[in-house]
Amino acid sequence: MVPKSKRTSVTRRWHRFFGAGSAIFVVFLVVTGLLLNHSHSLTLDQKRVSNPLLLAWYGLGSPEKLKHFAVASNWLSFTGTRVYLNGSAVTNVAEGVGAVSSGGMFIAASGAELLLLDKAGNLVERQPWGPPGAGPIDALGQLENGVVVVRSGEQLWLADAEMLTWQLSDGPVNSPSWSFPGTAPDALRQAVIEQYRGHGLSLERMLLDIHSGRIFGTAGVIIYDLFALALGFLAISGLILWLRGRRNVRRNGRFKEQ
Amino acid sequence: MSLKLKKILVGLSCLLLPLMAAASSVYETQAEFVERAFSGSPPEPRVVWLSGERKLAVQQMLGHDYAALRLRYWCQAQRSAWILDEIGKELPITVGVIINSDYIESLRVLTYRENRGGEVSTPAFTDQFYGVALDDDGALNAAIDGISGATLSVHALTRLANMALFLHSDTECKIGT
Repeated sequence: MVPKSKRTSVTRRWHRFFGAGSAIFVVFLVVTGLLLNHSHSLTLDQKRVSNPLLLAWYGLGSPEKLKHFAVASNWLSFTGTRVYLNGSAVTNVAEGVGAVSSGGMFIAASGAELLLLDKAGNLVERQPWGPPGAGPIDALGQLENGVVVVRSGEQLWLADAEMLTWQLSDGPVNSPSWSFPGTAPDALRQAVIEQYRGHGLSLERMLLDIHSGRIFGTAGVIIYDLFALALGFLAISGLILWLRGRRNVRRNGRFKEQ
Repeated sequence: MSLKLKKILVGLSCLLLPLMAAASSVYETQAEFVERAFSGSPPEPRVVWLSGERKLAVQQMLGHDYAALRLRYWCQAQRSAWILDEIGKELPITVGVIINSDYIESLRVLTYRENRGGEVSTPAFTDQFYGVALDDDGALNAAIDGISGATLSVHALTRLANMALFLHSDTECKIGT
């Protein structure tokens, strides 16, 4: 059997080890916990995180494939999942390949479909691209007479006036004016990025994730669990040490009286 | 990485592949649907604009505005083919409806994008729409049996069936022109 003094020494050593190891963690929890307790009065729930690294960590970074096309004094922007007219979201669409204006409408193209929008940005029609024998849309443009033209591989497809049917061009076409991405004004670019991110990340949410360890994913939660167990051990070992100490004091007192 | 772990990962990936594929199912392309509807010789598409009273009627049927302002359809001798979209739970379901005179000749799910509720694409469900027409109140004249676990998709298809019948009756196709 292990002597009592030895047991006390082992418990004290472990208590000291866990205590010192958890000290920084406890201070950290206290600070974040206090901030969270008063997050409303500190307006942490309304403050937004703007650090690009943190936003990227949350998957709220800038769109990877942001493209802007200038169309008749307007801008059609593609984020890879959505199209925006002058900075206002219109509808979902994959990566954009071009945009033109025809017949009082904007025509925006991705590789697999065409979107017809009115001047206010309402979706007039979503046209899946698929004339027989056609591959994906590579480029969208216009002829001098306003006819909308799609380039698909080596093929050129011409739209009718109502944008209902597509005819494969059987001869040479006079230099279509192809739509290319342009450099949009900073304000518009920022407006699109902000909408893409939505309401973004609040400081309260980030603190909550730091407080719970979720900001570091599953690994963070497990590490926090281990710290929580260490704190539990500290409570128990502290109690044991205190009880032993008290008993020793009483025993020593009786010994002196005798 | 150990060989055993690699084997487990490969096995899990194989198990997950069918689930990933089921995320968006294309049963028939829109071009194939139109070809089928008119036995390989489809007429030129026509356009119907959703505006004015027509827009309000559609809004009432769906419970919200339709996602587009104009719809294309194909019409030949009182038969019309429509390709319509409606959201089931979160994503649009693309449906092809063929109307003959004043009843549904065929309703088929062309693309189903939701993860759950794909049972509405089975003929066991869609065949219920065969022969269904509008009653005097503008509603479907037959009850459509639901599918447990796919209630929202069932409702979406029922609304689209109603809409297609209404649009057919609201266009010149009804009188065969």
